[in-house]
Amino acid sequence: MLTSVFTKTVRDRWRGMSIAVVALGLGLLLAMSVYRSFETDVFSKLPEAFRSLMSIPDNADAAAIAIGILYGLYGAFTLAGLAIAMGASSIAGEERDGTLGLLLGNPRSRTSVLGGKLANMTLLVTLGTVVVVAASYLVAGVLGVQLGEMHVAAFGVHLWINTIFYGMLACAIGAWTGNRSLAIGLPTGLMVLGFLLAGLLPLIEGWATVPKAIPWYYFDGSDPLNNGFSLGHFAVLLAASAVLAAAAVIGLNRRDLKGQTTTTSLLDRLRENPMTRKIADRLAGSIRVSRISIKTLSEHQGVFVVAALSMFLIMGVWMGPLYTLMDDLLLEYAEQLPEELWAFVGSGAGGMSTPEGFYEAETFGMMAWIAVMVMTVTIGARALAGEEANRTMGLLLANPVRRSTVVLEKTYTMVAYALAVGFATWAGVWLGSLLGGLGISPLNIAATCVLASLVGLVFGGFALLLSAATGRVRVAVFGTIGLTLAMFLINSIAILNETVESLALFTPFGHYLQNQPLSNGMDWGNAALLSGVFVALVAIAVYTFERRDIRQSG
Amino acid sequence: MSEQAAILTEKLTKHYGNFPALVDLDLEVRSGEIFGFLGPNGAGKTTMIRTILDEIRPTSGTATILGLDSHAQSVEIRNHIGYVPGDLAMYPNLTGRDTITYFANLRGGVDWALVETLSERLDADLSKKVGDLSSGNRQKVGLIQAFMNRPELLIMDEPSSGLDPLVQREFQKMMREVVADGRTVFLSSHTLSEVQRVADRVGIIRHGKLIAVEGVADLRSKAIRTVTLIFDETVDGGIFVGVPGVRDVRVDNHHVMVSFDGQMEQLLGVATDAHRLLDISTQEADLEEIFLTYYEEVQA
Repeated sequence: MLTSVFTKTVRDRWRGMSIAVVALGLGLLLAMSVYRSFETDVFSKLPEAFRSLMSIPDNADAAAIAIGILYGLYGAFTLAGLAIAMGASSIAGEERDGTLGLLLGNPRSRTSVLGGKLANMTLLVTLGTVVVVAASYLVAGVLGVQLGEMHVAAFGVHLWINTIFYGMLACAIGAWTGNRSLAIGLPTGLMVLGFLLAGLLPLIEGWATVPKAIPWYYFDGSDPLNNGFSLGHFAVLLAASAVLAAAAVIGLNRRDLKGQTTTTSLLDRLRENPMTRKIADRLAGSIRVSRISIKTLSEHQGVFVVAALSMFLIMGVWMGPLYTLMDDLLLEYAEQLPEELWAFVGSGAGGMSTPEGFYEAETFGMMAWIAVMVMTVTIGARALAGEEANRTMGLLLANPVRRSTVVLEKTYTMVAYALAVGFATWAGVWLGSLLGGLGISPLNIAATCVLASLVGLVFGGFALLLSAATGRVRVAVFGTIGLTLAMFLINSIAILNETVESLALFTPFGHYLQNQPLSNGMDWGNAALLSGVFVALVAIAVYTFERRDIRQSG
Repeated sequence: MSEQAAILTEKLTKHYGNFPALVDLDLEVRSGEIFGFLGPNGAGKTTMIRTILDEIRPTSGTATILGLDSHAQSVEIRNHIGYVPGDLAMYPNLTGRDTITYFANLRGGVDWALVETLSERLDADLSKKVGDLSSGNRQKVGLIQAFMNRPELLIMDEPSSGLDPLVQREFQKMMREVVADGRTVFLSSHTLSEVQRVADRVGIIRHGKLIAVEGVADLRSKAIRTVTLIFDETVDGGIFVGVPGVRDVRVDNHHVMVSFDGQMEQLLGVATDAHRLLDISTQEADLEEIFLTYYEEVQA
């Protein structure tokens, strides 16, 4: 039985891992071939903290830059993201699908079933990491790039244990709560926040040791690509992973299993309270189901609260005072850096030397559009394919509503959430600017937030299109994430290399921070173009959905 | 609407890749009847329903519902129908009442007094989240949403699954009320006893092909019946094989059970020719036997 749980899970999961490592390998090939042509001296002059933030080792050559950036950022996020998905699905996912009871109806203990799942995750992560590391040597060999003293294998070991840690964390949360959304959301939040804080906190005078409380620090804090394997850092993550695995076993064995899970929203709780029942009944009941778009709105309120609060408090309000705390010397040094370097972290402005540049690098460079994307891609991918996966589309379409109406109603929700996250970001950055006395124009903040929302909507529109065309949630989600990574990479490379500069214009990012809207205000041309692409994607989604068979599974 | 067929399909065909799920299906369901659509799992019942409801598109052929084209006028059609899908799934985080409200809002013009009446008759709990309901109680919510707009045509795919016998009886009563009102019920099922109790006519489908459409009474009048012959000794059942009308012979000690639709005289002749017949009893075959007989004939 253990073997069959193990092999079935391998069969279910190997495809995602394979696609990810092949994409990473191709990305490395592309990046390394572009970086080969750079003057790399500029990277070696970077301050330690910046190199750490970008995973660029000392005495870096072009190869190291490509490996450090691609694997230290995209690779680590991609592999950890997959591990989180695997960990969350291992128990909580089976509960959500109502299959765990069936699985445990066989004569095997909960511990052995969980063991099979964890062994599977460990195997796939190990294979994925080995392929990723092997790809480094292969790509370097093909391109004739000398890796020299680069400790790629040691970096791979750190990458492996970092990935395992987040997978175990997701599994433990799922095993204790049976809540798959929580099991995905918390580790993902911890990972993204950890990445940011581990890079940013050392920039503040006297805070250099604070990152030691952050798991991400033990992945690349010792700069394994440059300095080799760190037993101490590895041991910390290994021990934490072992504790989490044990916690998962304990959690799973001590609680009641759920059937098909229902979630309890804030409105549901208010509905149960006699004091608030009347108003909550209207909100949670008749209003919530008054139309398709509003019902869809209510289904994603949890994700929205996390995305909006993160953008408002952490990436907005907190960044203002943080900027004023940063080491002046570092900021002055940053001013000397070529602006192309900031392409690595998604900024189109002049680095961190100005408040606008700082906010563009930290808040708008990646986090703002990612926060919007979390909403838009979730809604876009699940809008149609989700209803099909849940087998509710047939019942929905048995009512006198057109298929185009269903697509458009879901689109309205997507737009509403994109603008709402944009608004939360605007409010946070504006307040942060006021608290830090930075004097950033609220209108310019609004312009940048609108552009971030539009970038998120373009990718959400693409997810909607895939959802409409295929009826498969996974295709829509992973297809969109793959496209996003490719677009972001192309944009970064285009900024770095003048010969392929025009490629950026074929990505949404080339129409986002390109003209530094936080300093210069709205670029209406870019806004119109992004809006046009979004509308076109929705129109194609409607056309496609009107013409295909409805699926009865995802 | 009463003059035209409630459902009419002409050469309706649906292929999934190379697999023929429906083949040249010609079917007419008359207005004002309960039509039972019978077939084993995988016969094509659900594919047929999903095709006429425009969830999936036919490879060839056409279908009309209440005189309207099933594809071009699908939205208009849905104003007039109620639908319970097979393997019913709903939104687990909505209560039963929220679910009903949602569909009532999409549909418009739903009489809430009727919803309350249906809820009482089916003993449905609309206050709980659908995800927290048992499958039978979830099915009740599905039935309420199908009946609540007084549809001219009810299309139901295995609607009784999970319902306890008392609720099943009430549900059958509700179906009879629908046809008494001049409206139509299309009932897809493999629960033959239920179809036998309520349907006026049945269509039998197998491997995507419509084998037969008959009135339930006509089917019974085919006089397929079970004849039980009791002898004073064990008899070789083989002596009855070949007797005109004998379809199936089972022997249990001194008892011989024969599925039979021929002349009784010939059967009795063989039975008494070399053996001593002590007793004889006949029983009208139920649809199950008729149904199985059809299959055996087609398979043969």
